[in-house]
Amino acid sequence: MTSELDVGMGAGGLATADMVLNIGPQHPATHGVLRLRVVLDGERIVSAEPVIGYMHRGAEKLFEVRDYRQITVLANRHDWLSAFSNELGVVLGVEAMLGMEVPERAVWLRTLLAELNRVLNHLMFLGSYPLELGAITPVFYAFREREELQAVMEEASGGRMHYMFNRVGGLKEDVPAGWLGRVASAVSAVRRRMPDLEALIVGNEILEARTRGVGVLDVATCTAYGVSGPIARASGLDIDLRRDDPYLAYAALFAPGGPGRVVTRSEGDCLARLQVLLEQVHVSLDLADACLDTLAMLPAGPVNQRLPKVLKVPEGERYTATENPLGFNGYYLVSRGEKTPWRLKLRSASFNNVQVLSQVLPGCLVADMVAVLGSMFFVVGDIDK
Amino acid sequence: MSVDLPMPRVGPVAEHAPKPIRVVLNWGRRYSLWVFNFGLACCAIEFIATSMGRHDFIRLGVIPFAPGPRQADLMVVSGTVTDKMAPAIRRLYDQMPEPKYVISFGACSNTGGPYWDSYSVTKGVDQLIPVDVYVPGCPPRPEALLQGIIRLQEKIAAERVSGAAIGARQPGRTRDLDQRYAGHRTAAAAEVTRGLVTKP
Amino acid sequence: MSPLPGILKGLATTARTAMRPTHTAEYPDVAPDLPPRSRGVIALLEENCTSCMLCARECPDWCIYIDSHKETVPATTEGGRDRQRNVLDRFAIDFSLCMYCGICIEVCPFDALFWSPQFEYSEVDIRDLIHEKDRLGQWMATVPPPPALDERAAEPGEIAAATKPARGAGLVGGAGTAPGAGATGPGARMPRTVRPRPAGTGTRPPTPREPLTGTPESVPDDTPPAAGPPADGETR
Repeated sequence: MTSELDVGMGAGGLATADMVLNIGPQHPATHGVLRLRVVLDGERIVSAEPVIGYMHRGAEKLFEVRDYRQITVLANRHDWLSAFSNELGVVLGVEAMLGMEVPERAVWLRTLLAELNRVLNHLMFLGSYPLELGAITPVFYAFREREELQAVMEEASGGRMHYMFNRVGGLKEDVPAGWLGRVASAVSAVRRRMPDLEALIVGNEILEARTRGVGVLDVATCTAYGVSGPIARASGLDIDLRRDDPYLAYAALFAPGGPGRVVTRSEGDCLARLQVLLEQVHVSLDLADACLDTLAMLPAGPVNQRLPKVLKVPEGERYTATENPLGFNGYYLVSRGEKTPWRLKLRSASFNNVQVLSQVLPGCLVADMVAVLGSMFFVVGDIDK
Repeated sequence: MSVDLPMPRVGPVAEHAPKPIRVVLNWGRRYSLWVFNFGLACCAIEFIATSMGRHDFIRLGVIPFAPGPRQADLMVVSGTVTDKMAPAIRRLYDQMPEPKYVISFGACSNTGGPYWDSYSVTKGVDQLIPVDVYVPGCPPRPEALLQGIIRLQEKIAAERVSGAAIGARQPGRTRDLDQRYAGHRTAAAAEVTRGLVTKP
Repeated sequence: MSPLPGILKGLATTARTAMRPTHTAEYPDVAPDLPPRSRGVIALLEENCTSCMLCARECPDWCIYIDSHKETVPATTEGGRDRQRNVLDRFAIDFSLCMYCGICIEVCPFDALFWSPQFEYSEVDIRDLIHEKDRLGQWMATVPPPPALDERAAEPGEIAAATKPARGAGLVGGAGTAPGAGATGPGARMPRTVRPRPAGTGTRPPTPREPLTGTPESVPDDTPPAAGPPADGETR
């Protein structure tokens, strides 16, 4: 600890001038094209400002000239790691405004796919975060599991990343025969091999030394900045829309005695954020198993509604929020009765989660910056939309 | 900001290099492509998946450990190129030493893809830098990138080492352009001098 | 704190994994085993295309190009009427632009477009990524049969429609809902909020729905862009 203090003093108490360090937009340590403008005093960060917009693709404007099916297939691209959850938000909003009921089978299949997508998302970060800290190995294990799950996702939807499987009123089509069994075996294979990944992360002294007590985020800052998802829960903010404002089949899954539970930590440091992610993988695997059990008992039925040729949403507005893997994802849909929305505002999780960096980073050493940055688990497309 | 790293030459005899020399040179270039991943969006995840154990493009001689563009032979542009990002791409491309190759991975970097009508998206990375191989898909599956790499390797194997072929890659030279660029382009972006990329 | 236990634990995992067989897919040597639904490339069955332009209009990327002209087919029977039909001149998909959403395949009312899992068509020249109809037709050979649906799935729309005795059943009790499935209720209340296309833009309500084998000649159509048969909704 003494050496850290010396370094932080800035060359042993010599007078230092503030230095502006520009990190990014293309930098190996920032996964994606986030740019940070950091003011340094010695090695200590005085202030940090995330400069965003390098991945701004104008998706909200494009939504306004696309009909709802086209929006669904475009919406999964802003947060490319949680494609299924993104399209889910769009179709849930449209269905609510239409007053449409989705067949029960579609609801459970959607829940299953959303949870598998959550596991895929978290595995990506469980692999990439140690990579940013200098540990190369975990990412290989994470991607082995990802390939396992992507295979079943592709078998049902045809896509490895962008599923485009949701439609207003349900899903595009039913799943292939025997698919549920293959999901069950994929889930159990992932669960069986998770200890491999955990052995490299959990309890590793080097990883803990890099992350414990680093980048502490308190609850007040979380709420002030609208931080949500695993990052907020790692700071002790016990909020999860799957339990608190249930959609899909989450009301049943998060009921008392159900497999669903909200993972929280109180430390709020980088290690806590990683632990929340790791534990959420297990919760999501349990939820997926519960969905599979229910699907095996449901009566045969359709997975979609018959739609008119031109789908028009009645005039009105609605805000639909879902618990994406990275936090709250909201669509504010304003319709004027046309076949395209008048406005579709996107509230993405990473945007808020990254803004908090300007509060967390000051006081950190520049060497810890990567650890803090990586632990915010953001997707650049989700920041810039 | 471009780096003055001229094309490595084998001396004046290169013009008349016999075929075995060319084969050896191209063989060396072909199977030691140090790749620099310009990861921008969804496709970058598939690029990472390709570099992982399941698909493992090191089998094909593509080495993903280039510390930066200055040590890279191949740049894979994977993801949406926005107008705000475009100068950075150009700048990093200029820093790569010759011979350099570019793979455009996915619909967004090919043409803008799903964001073809967006106000902030560059409609194809080939407006900024010359592209050797276009891999279609949104995102393309990892095997598609492997196939694009094999395609690029075939192209490298067919390269000539003579001055004319190399000259076509140098700014200001227009000979043999058809060999390198799509025929409808009279000049590639690399041949257009802009303020941003001139030497200080 | 010594980092040794963590390192040893990690090394043990690595050693265990090193004992197991690798899971690397040897792609160029071994063809990957792709599921039939995999979205690789779009194949065109030219005989089924009536150049109705539905796919081109619904495409979010506008990456489908269709040219056609009309031909008059002389009457086959005595005193019959000459018929007009569309002849497809050009059908091209720009795969450098395509976002692989499959909307064109969903909306195609005559099953002229199919997904093929093929992915090996990267190009050196971007213009070669525009596949004209002959190249799109070549992909047909690689189209796999669709997978069987889950045992608890509802009857597929195509089969339900084909086995339905009467035609023109309209929106009520849509083909997407199997007989005996409990959740047919919502379909009945949809028309209030969801209006079909207003009259005047080519609504043609009770057109007899041809079976899916409908050939181009079977559509007596004179307004190609509005030729959407009323049955395309059920494939959504």
